[in-house]
Amino acid sequence: MKRFLTTKGLIGIVLLLIIAAVAIIGPMVIPPDAATAMDMTARRAPPSMRHLFGTDQLGRDMMFRVILGARTSLEIAVSAVVMSIALGLPLGLISGYFGGFVDNVLMRLVDTLLAFPALLLALTISAVLGPNIQNTIIAIGVAFTPYLARIIRGEALRVAQMPYVEAARASGTTDGMIMIRHVLPNILPAVIVQGTISLAFAILAEAGLSFLGLGTQPPAASWGLMIQASRDQLDIAPWTAVVPGLAVALTVLGLNMFGDVLRDILDPRSK
Amino acid sequence: MTYVLNRLLSVILTLFLITLVTFAVTNILPGDVAMMIMGTQSNPEALEGLRESLGLNDPLLMQYGHWVWGMFTGEWGNSLIFKKPIAELLLQKAVASGIIVVMSMVIALALAVPLGVWAAVHRDKWQDTVSSSASLLGVSLPDFFWGIVMILVFARWLGWFPSSGFVEPSEDPLGTLQRAFLPSLALGLGLMAHLTRMTRSTMTGILSQEFIRVARAKGLAERTVIWRYALANAIGPVITIAGLQIGYLFGSIIVMESLFGYTGMGWLTYQALLNRDLPLIQSTVFVIAAVVMVTNLLVDLLYVVIDPRIRLG
Amino acid sequence: MKRRDFLRNSTAVLGGGFMGLSLPSALWAQETPVSGGTLIWGHSETTQNLDMHQTGTASSGRVLQNIHSSIVTVDKDLNVIPGLCESFEVAPDGLSYTFKLRPNVKFHNGAVMTSADVKYSFERCKDPATGAVNFEVFNNVAAIETPDDLTVVIKMSAVNAPFLSRLSENGAGVIMPVDSGPTQGTNPMGAGPFKFVSYEVGTVVKMARHDEYWEGPAFLDAVEAREITEPTTRLTGLRTGELHMINDIPLDRVGELQGDATLQVKTWFPLNFDFINMNHTFEPFQNPKVRVAFDMIIDKEALMQGALWGQGATTPSPSFPTSAAYNKDLKQRAQDIEGAKAMLAEAGYPEGSLNIVFKATTNYPYHIETAQILVEWFKMAGVNLTIEQLTWADWLSQCWVDKDYQMTMMNFFSLWESDFLYYSVWNSEGAFNYRAIKDPVIDELTAKARVTVDDAERAKIYQAVQKQIWDESHDIILWFRNGTIGAQPAVMGLDTVVHPNGSNLNFHKVWLKA
Repeated sequence: MKRFLTTKGLIGIVLLLIIAAVAIIGPMVIPPDAATAMDMTARRAPPSMRHLFGTDQLGRDMMFRVILGARTSLEIAVSAVVMSIALGLPLGLISGYFGGFVDNVLMRLVDTLLAFPALLLALTISAVLGPNIQNTIIAIGVAFTPYLARIIRGEALRVAQMPYVEAARASGTTDGMIMIRHVLPNILPAVIVQGTISLAFAILAEAGLSFLGLGTQPPAASWGLMIQASRDQLDIAPWTAVVPGLAVALTVLGLNMFGDVLRDILDPRSK
Repeated sequence: MTYVLNRLLSVILTLFLITLVTFAVTNILPGDVAMMIMGTQSNPEALEGLRESLGLNDPLLMQYGHWVWGMFTGEWGNSLIFKKPIAELLLQKAVASGIIVVMSMVIALALAVPLGVWAAVHRDKWQDTVSSSASLLGVSLPDFFWGIVMILVFARWLGWFPSSGFVEPSEDPLGTLQRAFLPSLALGLGLMAHLTRMTRSTMTGILSQEFIRVARAKGLAERTVIWRYALANAIGPVITIAGLQIGYLFGSIIVMESLFGYTGMGWLTYQALLNRDLPLIQSTVFVIAAVVMVTNLLVDLLYVVIDPRIRLG
Repeated sequence: MKRRDFLRNSTAVLGGGFMGLSLPSALWAQETPVSGGTLIWGHSETTQNLDMHQTGTASSGRVLQNIHSSIVTVDKDLNVIPGLCESFEVAPDGLSYTFKLRPNVKFHNGAVMTSADVKYSFERCKDPATGAVNFEVFNNVAAIETPDDLTVVIKMSAVNAPFLSRLSENGAGVIMPVDSGPTQGTNPMGAGPFKFVSYEVGTVVKMARHDEYWEGPAFLDAVEAREITEPTTRLTGLRTGELHMINDIPLDRVGELQGDATLQVKTWFPLNFDFINMNHTFEPFQNPKVRVAFDMIIDKEALMQGALWGQGATTPSPSFPTSAAYNKDLKQRAQDIEGAKAMLAEAGYPEGSLNIVFKATTNYPYHIETAQILVEWFKMAGVNLTIEQLTWADWLSQCWVDKDYQMTMMNFFSLWESDFLYYSVWNSEGAFNYRAIKDPVIDELTAKARVTVDDAERAKIYQAVQKQIWDESHDIILWFRNGTIGAQPAVMGLDTVVHPNGSNLNFHKVWLKA
């Protein structure tokens, strides 16, 4: 626990705690309509006492939108990363543990997917499935899977050669058991580190997809969608970009810092 | 040698799989190019005629065969929406994108290497914190956000660069570079963060090694030790990591080129996708995937050359 | 009079139906045009196919209109007038059209236009193998005869009253030199004021003056249409002076630009009309009460201010506002949320029981804004509206072709000839009836108009059609939207740029002040 108490680790943890609190408590305190309620007499109003963070092109309060948007953005990011782990973990584990032919086949598949830039893959999936929150999650989740599978495979390959695994094999334990009992727990730290960092990328990916119109659907608030809407008014209403931009930046920053510290602790080789 | 052969074989196999995936996925895309050409002037009869004349009604297997065979024999066919030969379009746009990919890489390395070295030399001091904060900031905002900010600051307010567009290098080479600079800078910032961290950790590792201590003991100037000895050894891994980012760059240029109206490969891919110009999507996506694969292969081979200890299968 | 006031005044008369220009163009009328210079135009869209016949999109047409000339065209009041022909004549039975061509019209390749070129162009457009977008214009054409070099006689197999008007629209009426078809896609050639020079996909189309243009050479040496689809970037280009002119100023920025004394802004009216569509195969919308109630939920004026930032005028009728067919007696339903609630309850849909998906295309960003505002009002009326953003390809395939939607919205050019407009969009057999509307009254009226020769009588029939659409609330017709252009002060003759159809831009009489 002490090793989290570096400046970096502390900042990361505090940032994440604040953001998590906002995402969880926000919707309990603020009525859900507050993010979409319009005031046509106060379009693109600069920050003031009435609207602390200003309003957007439809006169919606940016503070309420960014708070309620936190939940959407984080929900998408977390679900997408969980999905990519759920897909990538078995793929990487089996590939790395068994090696040989199985590994060859699975890794060719992963290589094929890796050759497509992740955003292009997500874009295409989203175009095929149609735009909504669930499909955004699927698009990002699938696009991230090959990266996770690659990293998990490397870890599994390393662990599979450890003496205790050899020993378990010699004692006649089934492959399935060895994978669950011995390999999985040992690669978990790497998965957690990678997952944290992927979360940061997922938040950026959601923003990118929304930027191209394929992510979250209006009038719902998500940070990506808010930045997307701000691009046509940045010069006259900079707060419409700064507010969600800052929210994304702080979250990604928090995740990256936390991820770094986590890596130092869980994965000592990287030191 | 067997390693190289193996890698080559697997690249060819993967390229083949890429054609399959690309073809299959593009064919489940809803809508078709005939609708896009006719827009809201279309009616069922006219659409059917246009589909027939564009060859959209041919059996899928035949279309796939045509495409793959065409790629082999150099007959890349025509874009259905732009009515131009795909090979010509791709070549022109690949040059445009090549310029920003290279430029953003140069910008990223030019910023990341000194920053990373600086951080490593002053490890755990304030310089380290500044360096890592700067690089974290770069990666913490979506690159299109940087793009918007740059248009605003450098084009609108300061007027130093044109806000958008692309000019043929043959027509106005300086103009080409000017227009490529802002999108490259925006992409470079995102890339820089990653490379700074890589440089820092590689340099830290090297600085703690025996030969550095020996060099210092011999009384060499600290500057010589760091830049001549340490960096020379660190640059290989850093460039390797940089090479692996090519795939990331090709993903990011889709958004960045659309934003800057810089019409390169990313823009072409997005237009092809939006317009359901299947032959064009298939070819652009294949070329991008192939470029990414081949770069990865080259990087791997380079790594083997640089660091003979690595002999992974 | 301040520019602002001028706009307000012109908008006030728009309802009556006038072209509104916010530009005091009379000021410059005295200046003598000078020749020379290259106009850099920031074009809002990507040019796709250079073959005028195969081009369905307004974007390509906007550029190609400068390269081609049409056999007939329209004046400001949308009357068909001669173009490349000196005169035209319709036989009393409506079964033949005789065109007398202008002598000595030169194509860009130097050849003189003859009746053979006309015959070639029309036959090329009619041939299904060409893939021409407007091929159906020639559906009733039985034969094209060329008695001499300057006479073309078109024989029809059946009366087709809108034939001439359709020829004056994009595409169908352009004349290309004989046998130029195969190269039109790469090197478009016609008899327009500018010659095609080069085209870089997605970047620029370059054109140079055609010195032997039949209406006299243009002032500009050349026009460069740079394609800049990102609205803010286009605006920045205009402000920094990289561009002489841009079309399609983002609607929310028009006011800001009008306040800028260093730039010219021109708005005109109408560019197109917008309407909200309800799919008539979707059960709730089979009940006219639901459709009328939905109409009552919407405050059209507030919606127009919200989504178009006031750059338009509300209308209950889609007919061109100055045309005889425009029904002046119709008024849009006023917003009445309580009344709508009651009517919905009466129709069997009490509060909270209707969940509707509204599909809007990102191709028109103001459609997305419209939808977001609608959501709020529908919520007040107890209807749960959710938005699905679709790319243009998805909208076309889901809404237009597959009719797989509940509610959506679209816009069309208002210029359309009445028969084309009402028959294709509202007749149950109409090619553009993507709402699956089946109204025997409209079917009968639109069929009757086709064989009615008297113009005043036809106009009356179309007014009745508009009333029927409104009575039944088949669609909710919202507004006419303004077109916009912004330019540097040096660009002269801006009031001649916009073609009466409101979409095409013609640079023949534009010049640059030194």
